[in-house]
Amino acid sequence: MRRTRIAIDYGLCGDGVGVDPRGCCLCLRACDPAVFLLHETLGAREEDPLDPQAWRVTALWPSLCTRCGKCVSACPCGAITVTPDGAGNRE
Amino acid sequence: MCDHCMRHGTGGKWYLNAGHYANEVAEKYDLREFLLEQYKNFEQISVRRVGGFSPVGMDYTLRVPIIGRIVKALAERMLHSRKPPTNPFRAEGHIGQVVPLEDAEEILQRCAAEPIIEKNCMCRYMSRGVKEACCINFGVMSEIIDKLPRFVPEKEKYHLTREEAIARFQEHNRKGYIGTIWFGPFPYINNLCSCENPECAGIRPRLDFGIKSIYKAEYLLELSESLCRGCGECVARCSFGALRMDKTLGRPAVDHDRCYGCGVCRHACSTGALFLVPRDHFPAFAGKY
Repeated sequence: MRRTRIAIDYGLCGDGVGVDPRGCCLCLRACDPAVFLLHETLGAREEDPLDPQAWRVTALWPSLCTRCGKCVSACPCGAITVTPDGAGNRE
Repeated sequence: MCDHCMRHGTGGKWYLNAGHYANEVAEKYDLREFLLEQYKNFEQISVRRVGGFSPVGMDYTLRVPIIGRIVKALAERMLHSRKPPTNPFRAEGHIGQVVPLEDAEEILQRCAAEPIIEKNCMCRYMSRGVKEACCINFGVMSEIIDKLPRFVPEKEKYHLTREEAIARFQEHNRKGYIGTIWFGPFPYINNLCSCENPECAGIRPRLDFGIKSIYKAEYLLELSESLCRGCGECVARCSFGALRMDKTLGRPAVDHDRCYGCGVCRHACSTGALFLVPRDHFPAFAGKY
């Protein structure tokens, strides 16, 4: 069984560059097994370290992904890709 | 009693030993600076590399024979560590236990060091992007959260009296949120959370990956057949799958192996048929946390 790979395009979402994920969170909410995590971007230079402004979403638990595709549809900027898509069951 | 109770409970439960909550403990281990470093960018802890290994995708590694067991053992050793913490970017000595409403009330009344605050839950923010003010902190932790604007609630009251904290905790418990008490880090207790699975970063590693990140409560559920009218309202309340509506019997059956003793199912029962008993009333489950 192939491992699920969930890729997020950080040019479109997060890191203070694209959409600020804190204002969106649609993938976080769409995913029933809570595969995704919202967190500060590692290594970002912050003007105020107590109130970080560069955030991104990471797919932290890909083994729990059911490949339902809801995150892909939910993302307003199409930043998420799940491979393999659909076919193949979670064990 | 669990291992922590035996060593740190002075004859009772570790979380009812008021000594663990005192500011002196935090001062002894310089925890003000440590906790500020840790909570400043708390959400990153889950993705930072530890010893060169990235946690992302580590869930697959846990399934690999032998290596998976080693990784799990290393994670548990870190969580259960009793040594003074060295690295604020690791969850060292961050272990907790499920507590039912009554024990949480006693904690808030008798043990928690003031000031008591209720902050936005970090776990729910990380996992769902939701800000919900349901995480009660005490002592030195309150000062630290004061400095982190994203955790200070906009609408709800932030600084609480003991009575207000108890009332808020009761609300969360009735909603079905699981009460949990945490060392953070060992031996300092500063966190009484109202958790949900899989949002809670303390509970989900155990339920989804078998990592012992949290202990079951000192209690198990009992159901009185004479009082139960078979409505089944309690079944939906259980986050652990410990209640199953048995249609042949006409009442729910309790799976004591799955029961974490949180007691939130009791709030759904209109006849008082559900109650908690000490874990060692069930010899098969005594000591099985």
